[in-house]
Amino acid sequence: MRLRSVRLTPYLFIAPFFAVFGAFGLYPLIYALQLSFMRWRGGSQARWVGFDNYLYLLTSPEFWSSLGNSAVMWLLIVPLQIVAGLGGAVLLANAKLRLRGFFRVAFIVPFVTPLVAMAQVWIVVFDQDYGLVNYLLNLVGLPDVAWLTSTAWSKPTLALLFLWKTTGFAIIILLAGLQAVPGGVYEAASLDGASRWRQFWSITVPLVRRSMAFLVVIQTLAVFQMFTEPRVVTEGGPYGSTTTAGLYLYDHINASDLGTGAANSFLLVLLVFGLSLVSVRMLRPKDEVS
Amino acid sequence: MSRNRPGIGQYVLLTLLAIVFLYPIWWAVSSSLKPAAEIIASPLSIGELTLDNYRAMFADVPIGTGFLNTALVLLVKGGMTMVFCPLAGYAFAKYDFPFKNVLFGVVLLTLMLPTLVLIIPLLLEMSALGWVNTYQALILPGSVDAFSIFWMRQTIAAIPNELIDAGRVDGAGEFGIFYKVVLPVIRPGLAALAVLTTMNIYNDFVWPVVAVNDTEHQTLQVVLATLAQNVTGNRIGADFATVWGELLAAGSIAMLPLLVIFVLLQRHFINGILAGSVKG
Repeated sequence: MRLRSVRLTPYLFIAPFFAVFGAFGLYPLIYALQLSFMRWRGGSQARWVGFDNYLYLLTSPEFWSSLGNSAVMWLLIVPLQIVAGLGGAVLLANAKLRLRGFFRVAFIVPFVTPLVAMAQVWIVVFDQDYGLVNYLLNLVGLPDVAWLTSTAWSKPTLALLFLWKTTGFAIIILLAGLQAVPGGVYEAASLDGASRWRQFWSITVPLVRRSMAFLVVIQTLAVFQMFTEPRVVTEGGPYGSTTTAGLYLYDHINASDLGTGAANSFLLVLLVFGLSLVSVRMLRPKDEVS
Repeated sequence: MSRNRPGIGQYVLLTLLAIVFLYPIWWAVSSSLKPAAEIIASPLSIGELTLDNYRAMFADVPIGTGFLNTALVLLVKGGMTMVFCPLAGYAFAKYDFPFKNVLFGVVLLTLMLPTLVLIIPLLLEMSALGWVNTYQALILPGSVDAFSIFWMRQTIAAIPNELIDAGRVDGAGEFGIFYKVVLPVIRPGLAALAVLTTMNIYNDFVWPVVAVNDTEHQTLQVVLATLAQNVTGNRIGADFATVWGELLAAGSIAMLPLLVIFVLLQRHFINGILAGSVKG
């Protein structure tokens, strides 16, 4: 009797999790895959169309332009965030720093704020005619910039929101990586006469490579899924310049074109997976093989 | 980097960074307390303080309903995460049973998938179940996730088996061991999971905005996103200043609860964020 109850126990423990996970995680995933091979618009009957949805997307200029917009966002965000994150982490890593706790909290506060609220603050602050940023530019004699209403500036302005909100998070992640570096390593390097800059490049950077790879992977995922920023701030405009891959996917939902939407999401999965693999490979420490 | 005393330059740089991160929040909150016209006329100075923007905002959108809905979703959905994930994590960490690896493998497989993939099939599932515009729709999808169970398994695996066996010798039942031995030991991990879960549910926008399209069930973030539309709809020809005053008021009040919890529990928050990052 006792033995049987022990044998059943683990199944009872995982049952609630798998009931919910199966119904609202696995099932929709399989459903999405099936859907991606079907034509289903609005109220009409769904029918099997093979790879038509995928082919339609791969030959659609809008699809490629949404990927292009996301790629530009990635370029504006990820390299800058890694550099700024590493800089911030190095500044914070000193154990003798006063107010260290305060700085750590101050940097992470944006990460805790609701994105919708901050996106709306961005609308106000970056308004061309009455916004705070142009007001400050005018004070120092510079002309207005069309932050949210020109195709040249719309992407950098949204990228800035993303950077503002998540760079503190990057700093904390890299700081955790840095603190895993034994202090003795630097002392030995100093005794050998290595300059601080040299120490940074030959000790610090290689040792936080793993954290950097991790950051690149999750931020790649986040940038290609970016949805709330363009949805709230620019609604994808001007002229589609901020219609990111994530927002374009939402357009299919709005148009009740669910088969194409499902196909679009799987193309995104493949792309994000590929990009993550490449970045992990590039950032892998040199002494690790395969 | 830990041997030298930090120089003045380091403090200057850190202070500049802190200003960059904190100023937008300060500006939004302080501007929301100014008369609407002043936000545009003199964006930098703070003179007279007023709650007019808040009063107007409360009249224009059901932000109270938004807060209540978010609180309800947070309580039930967060509660499910906090019970189901440690329980399943315990089974995967400390028991051997047939199909264990297959089941856990399936969970891990979904760890890297973008959440956007599930939106469309979930929407169809909700309408098939007749759950469009219901609390079930807001609560059930996403109430357990691959990451939380993965993290709980890691945390519980670190508990020595002797501790669990000792509980068994003392005659505790299997669930009693989980409740009386395992849970107290992993309390810091649970606290971090709680703050991370709270943050994710409170700030979630993508799912609530597609799952619900009536005012009665809108969560706080969805109410926020409809504000500008409502202001211009309610008052034809409402000027920029009016809309902005209300936007800033709503944004400030929406930030407040999490910021207060964050300042009180910042150690757990930062641990949660760090632990959350083990994900990769």
